[in-house]
Amino acid sequence: MDVFESLGKIFNVSLIYATFRASTPIIYAALCAAVTQQANILNVGTEGIMLVGAFTAVAVSFLTGSWILGVLAAMCGGAVIATIMAIGHIKYNSEICAIGMGINLFAIAITKFLLQVIFNTSGSFSDPGIDPIPTVHFAFLENIPVLNGLLNDWAFTEWFVIVFIIILQFLFYKTVWGLRLRAVGQFPMAAQTAGINVNAIKYQAILISGLVGGLAGAHLSLGYSTQFVENMTNNRGFMGVAAMYFGGANPALTAVGCLLFGFSDSVGARLQAYGFPAQFVLMMPYLVTIVVLAVSMAIKVAASKKKESSLITG
Amino acid sequence: MSNSLNGAVKILITLALALGIGAIFILAIGQSPVEAYGALVKGALGTKLGIGNTIAQFTPLLLTSIAFAVAASAGAFNVGVEGEVILGGITAAYIGINWGFLPVPLLYLACFLGAMAVAAAWAYIPAALKAYFNVSEVCVTILMNTVALYIGSYLVSGPMSAGTATPQSDPVLVTIPKIMKPSSANAGVFIAIAAVLVVIFIVYKTKWGYKLRTVGTNPTHADYVGINSKKVFINAMLLSGMLGGMAGCIEVLGVHGYYLDNFAKDLGTNGMLAALIVKSNMLFTPFIAFFLAVLKAGSMAMQQATDVPKSIVDTVSAIFIIIATMEFVVSLGKRRKMEHEAKAVANIGSKKPDDKKTGKEESK
Amino acid sequence: MSEYVVEMKDIVKDFGEVHAVKDGQFTLKKGEIHSLIGENGAGKSTMMKLLYGMYPITAGEIYINGEHMTKLDPKIAINHGIGMVHQEFMLVNELTVLENVILGFEPVKGMTIDFDKARKDIQHYIDRYNMEIQLDKKVSQISVGEAQRVEIIKTLMRGAEIIILDEPTAVLTPQETGKLFEILFNLKAEGKSLVFISHKLNEVMTISDRISVMRQGTYMGTVNKEETSPLDLTKKMIGREVFLNIEKDYSKAGEKILEVKDVWIPSQKESSKIRGMSLYVRAGEIVGIAGIDGNGQSELIEAITGLRRVEKGSVILNGKDITNKTPRRIRETGLAHIPEDRNTRGLNRTMSIEDNLVAVELDKKPFTSGIFMNVSEQDKYADHMVKEFDIRPADYKLPTSSLSGGNAQKVVVAREVSMNKPLLVASQPTRGVDIGAIESIRNTLEKAKKSGAGVLLVSAELEEIISLSDRIIVIHEGKITGEMPAGEANENNLGLLMMGADDQVETDKEGEKCHE
Repeated sequence: MDVFESLGKIFNVSLIYATFRASTPIIYAALCAAVTQQANILNVGTEGIMLVGAFTAVAVSFLTGSWILGVLAAMCGGAVIATIMAIGHIKYNSEICAIGMGINLFAIAITKFLLQVIFNTSGSFSDPGIDPIPTVHFAFLENIPVLNGLLNDWAFTEWFVIVFIIILQFLFYKTVWGLRLRAVGQFPMAAQTAGINVNAIKYQAILISGLVGGLAGAHLSLGYSTQFVENMTNNRGFMGVAAMYFGGANPALTAVGCLLFGFSDSVGARLQAYGFPAQFVLMMPYLVTIVVLAVSMAIKVAASKKKESSLITG
Repeated sequence: MSNSLNGAVKILITLALALGIGAIFILAIGQSPVEAYGALVKGALGTKLGIGNTIAQFTPLLLTSIAFAVAASAGAFNVGVEGEVILGGITAAYIGINWGFLPVPLLYLACFLGAMAVAAAWAYIPAALKAYFNVSEVCVTILMNTVALYIGSYLVSGPMSAGTATPQSDPVLVTIPKIMKPSSANAGVFIAIAAVLVVIFIVYKTKWGYKLRTVGTNPTHADYVGINSKKVFINAMLLSGMLGGMAGCIEVLGVHGYYLDNFAKDLGTNGMLAALIVKSNMLFTPFIAFFLAVLKAGSMAMQQATDVPKSIVDTVSAIFIIIATMEFVVSLGKRRKMEHEAKAVANIGSKKPDDKKTGKEESK
Repeated sequence: MSEYVVEMKDIVKDFGEVHAVKDGQFTLKKGEIHSLIGENGAGKSTMMKLLYGMYPITAGEIYINGEHMTKLDPKIAINHGIGMVHQEFMLVNELTVLENVILGFEPVKGMTIDFDKARKDIQHYIDRYNMEIQLDKKVSQISVGEAQRVEIIKTLMRGAEIIILDEPTAVLTPQETGKLFEILFNLKAEGKSLVFISHKLNEVMTISDRISVMRQGTYMGTVNKEETSPLDLTKKMIGREVFLNIEKDYSKAGEKILEVKDVWIPSQKESSKIRGMSLYVRAGEIVGIAGIDGNGQSELIEAITGLRRVEKGSVILNGKDITNKTPRRIRETGLAHIPEDRNTRGLNRTMSIEDNLVAVELDKKPFTSGIFMNVSEQDKYADHMVKEFDIRPADYKLPTSSLSGGNAQKVVVAREVSMNKPLLVASQPTRGVDIGAIESIRNTLEKAKKSGAGVLLVSAELEEIISLSDRIIVIHEGKITGEMPAGEANENNLGLLMMGADDQVETDKEGEKCHE
């Protein structure tokens, strides 16, 4: 087969949607981590919060037949898990990495347990009774060849993530709460002397993060797919944390990082069809993230060295 | 010494709480917790097979938990042990398959040394990034675990594949003898115990260990007294990597006899869990590792004997760790004591000093 | 209604075992500038932090505008018209000046912050008090003086009628101090009541209406400025004549032990960068470095001890070039170092007294043999040191976190001095320790000198510098502004040099000139 023909089949217009589709769950996860990061709390528990959300969404959607209730329940579930983390971290001085990892393990175990207890199955659960998040269909696009394939029939939450990025951007940088959140994250003493209740802001941040994480999980199990699989988050939470890291917790930049993951994921899936070892493509986003993290930190170190130098008169 | 005693008491209380919460879950599904826990203990320790399974579970956990704890005592949160196990395993498999030209004893040695060297080199990457550029080792090691997984998976489905349906390598030429057939417990457990004893000895009794602990508790002070904190940090990560690599080697040579894709699943994570429960105290870590091994080994028997799903065991362990990270059991006692003293000294009402703030003030 | 806007009666504040304030009294009249003075650790900052609600009081009563405050936190304090400019600025570096000023009291329009209104409000105060600040710069980009003005505007924006300034001049250049005083006088003229915390008597005499003195957590009395003198205040502050009778035998000074040649040293702060400094220390002498905190002292010491990079120039110790060598190599070449920050640098607080005592020499015999630590030798040594330096409690297996400031510092001093190195670098050796420990630490430094070591002493306490040193070097903004034998030094001429004014006579006038 011609190389160019193959390349054309891999890098075509549909790759754009495939990338976005694969990125969306990670974007939600990254935003979950970004909220707490603004308060200088590294949300290692993103993965677990998301997994609980995914399970709750499927369970409630199946039991009530309503995807809206499923999504709402997932957000509540995420918030409950996040609250455990918040109490441990803020009130009882838990090391955030330690309790975050604990939360992740708990999420894997408890969802497995509930899957067995409630649905009497293990591994995965899918059923026509699960009401998925609806897709958005634009009738007027039907006759436009490229745009139809590109923009039609996205899951509702895929459109919503774009809005959501803007909402968070607004929340962080334009509102009172956002300003206080950032102050708490960067210099809690300054916030305290300004009469701000630092712990209250931290609790709020983790709670909101839980809501977002639950939404991330709901999108994964009701929008991205229509089923629950044990450990179905499959490191997406951690990818989100990494993307948040090099996006500096800025929602828009963070989302860009997530697209990178989604892109390599989609390309990898296609390359595999041509006998290219999928593993190399799959590990690309991870390698790229490590390199970006290292380079950005190295630049920071060099810049501060330059700023401190006595030889340069400023 | 009373400190250790206090720690042990706290762990036991935490454990009781975790088991209690687990019991509530079991009751909630209409089963008897006593029966379930009983079946679990019997399954793990009551039969020869059970004991064998427990030992088989214990061996890698012991190594990975100490691997995490060693890094932690130098101040690193090394989530990357799992990746180190994978790369140690694949290296051991490669040497074990292809270096048949070596006499058998040397081949054993080569497998172990190769596994440890490669895993240590792998651990060097996040260590150096942290030491020289302050890149979060948590993030990097989590990412690197997945990379390691893909490297292993590529090798056994490509160049090193045995051509079987499941991605696995050819069998290695040397294996570690099993000690309690039909379980997969093997003589590797003795190697692991010896290695861990050596490491504990190094950390608590040698000057190298002293430096490690100094860097872990106060790197600024370490630099001031002439200890190169970056170098010590990296060395600790290298040692951690070597232990992870050794675990991988024992799993490949002792349990499977070949490299099986995804064999290291959760080995690193559970080791980290064991270490975190006791805040990386190396004297307690092995006991927790053993306890977790009992839970793991007994869970299957419990599921068969009762109607309690074995995932309850993972749930209990996760609750165990979540509670263990909190500082309330000890601080309750401390606060009461401080209140008491405040009353005695100032002879006034019950205004209690906020112990968090006191700590900050004193450290200024 | 009482004549006081603030009354603090019989205040007690304990931090665990530490009694920060034992008997605090304070009153503030409307429209006055009231100085609160005392040595480091006398409890003046703590008193004012209690008033601002940063910690709860252990006992006592606080009245604001006659109202008995049973519960106090910063928010309540702010609502009662109290503002505080902290010694360490409470500004978030990564936020803009504008964002910092409105933090906690943000004007809103709909769902967003009303930045336009905020800007207008702030401009009002800028114009009224003639304070230059740049609202759109990030805090990390502005100067110390400007940051302080931002802090003052912050308190005004929050409607403060009572403004507490915690050692506001410690970080300022004379020009900036002059500007600050102008602003403070303006505020007073507007009817604001001000608390000025300081231990610099000339400033206090310039600015105050009334002066209160604290010593070791206890209130020593209040006087009107007209009725007192610096000498009188000194006596109240220190409580006795200190160390005036140490006999100095300067003739014994020998070979140059340490030579610093034209070194350039980086720093985060512009005023702390060292750009070309040379000095030397001879055997058998104590060289004191005087200067306002943050003028490069810490950077110089860190560079000499190998903890900070030297960008240009060289450091010679004992005839060997030690420029940019590791701390370990430098120590081995012949240096002991009492660091300014004993809690994070000097000690490992989680480890025992014994571990801390042997930390530097751990690698050597008899503390280790081969790769093993020789615990019984360490025990023997620790036991000896605890007795010799009178460290209490004497149980050397206790963690150093359980020691009082003075005893913790004794551990550091014991470790460093006992090695008998040819050069002893001591940075703020008596900061935050009790009088008894101060005396024993100063005697130890004297002994080290008499036994032939060169001592380089950095201290913010002029009295300490003058009474201990043989030779005094004064630095300002990373440059040496003067050098003299201790016999010629007094608070006045040193004070002038510390402000960088080596050719001016009048301290107070000097500050009022605007620079540029």
